[in-house]
Amino acid sequence: MSTTEFKDDDALAAEFALGLLEGDAAAEAARRVREDRDFAAKVTAWEMQFAEMAEDLDPVTPDPRSKLALMARMFPADAPKPLWQRVWVWQAASVMSLILLAVVFVASTTAPPATGPLYSAEIVSDAGDFRVVALVDKRRDEIVLTRTAGAAPEGRILQVWAHGPGEPAESVGLWPEGETVRLSLPPRIAAVDGVLTIGVSEEPPGGSTTGSPSGRVFGTVDIPGVTPAF
Amino acid sequence: MLRNIFNDPLDLRKRDHERAGQRRGCASCLSVDSTTKDAMVTRAQSELNSHLAQVALGNRAAFEALYDATSAKLLAVCLRVLKERAAAEDAMQEAYVKIWKNAHRFEVTGHSPMSWLITIARNTAVDKLRARKDHDDLADHEGSLRAPMAGPEAALIAKSEAGRIMACLQELEADRAAAIRGAYLDGESYQALSDRFKVPLNTMRTWLRRGLMALRECMTR
Repeated sequence: MSTTEFKDDDALAAEFALGLLEGDAAAEAARRVREDRDFAAKVTAWEMQFAEMAEDLDPVTPDPRSKLALMARMFPADAPKPLWQRVWVWQAASVMSLILLAVVFVASTTAPPATGPLYSAEIVSDAGDFRVVALVDKRRDEIVLTRTAGAAPEGRILQVWAHGPGEPAESVGLWPEGETVRLSLPPRIAAVDGVLTIGVSEEPPGGSTTGSPSGRVFGTVDIPGVTPAF
Repeated sequence: MLRNIFNDPLDLRKRDHERAGQRRGCASCLSVDSTTKDAMVTRAQSELNSHLAQVALGNRAAFEALYDATSAKLLAVCLRVLKERAAAEDAMQEAYVKIWKNAHRFEVTGHSPMSWLITIARNTAVDKLRARKDHDDLADHEGSLRAPMAGPEAALIAKSEAGRIMACLQELEADRAAAIRGAYLDGESYQALSDRFKVPLNTMRTWLRRGLMALRECMTR
């Protein structure tokens, strides 16, 4: 190959990298990029160098809504994940608003609270057809659950379970109807120090008769770092 | 394995030997330079590299970190091409979708991480500017991101020239440098350039190609 040919190819690669080629010339160059490693390497080399021109541009911070829109677009609602495992920003926002509602619910229906932490979590079934937002209120040793998707099958009710690290699950209470339920934590659950696991199952009316979940367990969630109230 | 990547590969290879000095023999060490500036660049690069590697595995947290670290730059790139804030934010979002989908290709394209991101953003914005169809995947001139590279040495050579283009642009006649910058940063077509510089289309073409060759010559000097 002559020097001229090298130079022609180089110029062509640069024109392609700049997007200056049109019509057949652009299509032919695109084909060569796919099939001709040397030509592709030339294009890449130019792209790398041209990209440095952008170094001079002053950064422009995007509108925060751009990120929310991007995340919503890329990670739509059909792939549920427990809250503690990383939730997308938009989803976190909607969950937070539910939690806020739950907090308002708790605050508006209880006496002026003593100090104590609140823990929130989301229980999501593997199939994504059942979702519950849980708020553990250590001020009152209560748990507030709100259904955001799914329900118990006809003729069945929901039952809430919990356990501490290495302990067997025990019933926190029944959830026969309604979107939200507020339950007092049993003493052993209130005393959990560390990871508190919460689960929801569907059971016959009146609850499980075995002391453990007998129907389908929709899902569980671990809330780390829970400390008992005084 | 080094073949006609630039005009005089043998000379380049020699220069690379000289620069790399005793670090030769440790392929991955070659990108590490002792000067402070380069060390900083290298650190930022390796952070972006690790974000991109995680993004390739589908790690959303890494994707968010990558977005936070690079979106202001990519928006600037898109804004320069599209001139309009809303369109630029749109193009930037599209670019990140492509980045998410194609992160696994990054390693084989031979780009430095920031150059790769900028290339995707810039090409996405230019596609939008030209109202091209098919935004869903890497299309048209972005085909290069799909292409197999001519091995790590090609990337190494490209890297050894990094940073040269700015100095070399200054050596060009002002008009030619402005035309090249216009074509890249503003996404101007030959037609737009010929209008701007008030020269016939063919003259513009010849003119810009000569500019590019002078640039290449300077960068491989």
